[in-house]
Amino acid sequence: MTRTPVLAVAIATLICTACATVTVSSYRDSTVDFASYRTFDWGPADALPTGDLRLDSDPYFQDRLQGAIERGLARRKLERSAPEAPADLLIHYHASVNRRLDANRVDHAYGYVVDVDSEIRSYEAGTIVLDIVDRRTNHVIWRGWAQGDMTELLEDEQKMAEWIERAVQDMLARLSPLY
Amino acid sequence: MTLSRLTALTITTLAMALSGCASMAVQSYTAPGQHLTKYRTYQWASVDALATGDPRLDNNPFFDGRVRAAIDRELAARRLEKGAGDSVDLVVHYHASVSQDIDVRGIDPEYKYCEEENCGPYVYEAGTLLVEFVNARNQQLVWRGWARLGLEGVIDSQRAMEATVDEAVMRILRRLPGNF
Repeated sequence: MTRTPVLAVAIATLICTACATVTVSSYRDSTVDFASYRTFDWGPADALPTGDLRLDSDPYFQDRLQGAIERGLARRKLERSAPEAPADLLIHYHASVNRRLDANRVDHAYGYVVDVDSEIRSYEAGTIVLDIVDRRTNHVIWRGWAQGDMTELLEDEQKMAEWIERAVQDMLARLSPLY
Repeated sequence: MTLSRLTALTITTLAMALSGCASMAVQSYTAPGQHLTKYRTYQWASVDALATGDPRLDNNPFFDGRVRAAIDRELAARRLEKGAGDSVDLVVHYHASVSQDIDVRGIDPEYKYCEEENCGPYVYEAGTLLVEFVNARNQQLVWRGWARLGLEGVIDSQRAMEATVDEAVMRILRRLPGNF
């Protein structure tokens, strides 16, 4: 039955977050009426390092990320506040990169592990965390995040831009039931 | 590979992903000579500035609020009152950390022979939640309890995170001396 190893690996891949291109999730304050917010502005810039020198203070990465977030919020009728007007919401984000391990399970049909070492690989796990803060109460009312394998993205601006756009739009799609 | 073997592999793989390969292990330590019954009030220490090791949980008010609420609830059930100022007996502190663990169950390290059908290295997220009670007057550790558990699928679900925090805190504080 040659299809069984393929199926087993596919199942393992599907439930292995490290293998997925982008995984998103979010937490929210269930007591808040999100429909009451109409405008946003950027919160104080993130001073934390990303964990990767290639991304720290990288204007290209920052611009792409901020642009993707602004487009995603605009689709949900959230407008950038006027310069002198206090915004309803403040947006804060943090990006980080960590080296992580992944173990691709292989077919163990014969009960042997041919090469244990070859099953472990390391990769650059990227995470974008987005906090939406009620400016008036200064409480985080929503946190979303997107995670994925950035190993090939850190050296390729175009791939990074595409990944950022998809990660942000997938993440902000979780706001849709609220807006 | 037979269908039954495939089913076993699928179930095992799913179970490992859901459980993180590990059940919750809970331990505690009481400092020598400490009698916890003499403490009646507590307050929270300042916010933990240490990174958790997972950006999803760092400075996460939803996680922080859930942990604090669960601990407050368990301590209230033990008639420990939350106070403020210099008069409190204990300062309560917690710290959470997340790291990757590798499970290599079943593999003979010498011959790389797998005695079980589905053994092999498996990387999973493991978390530790640690709760400490410190004497407010002399700053000495009174009691420490911690839980270590697999976190696959937990952090990405707010509901699962909340349920896991509640259970971990309950099981940690259950290890307090019976008369506390």
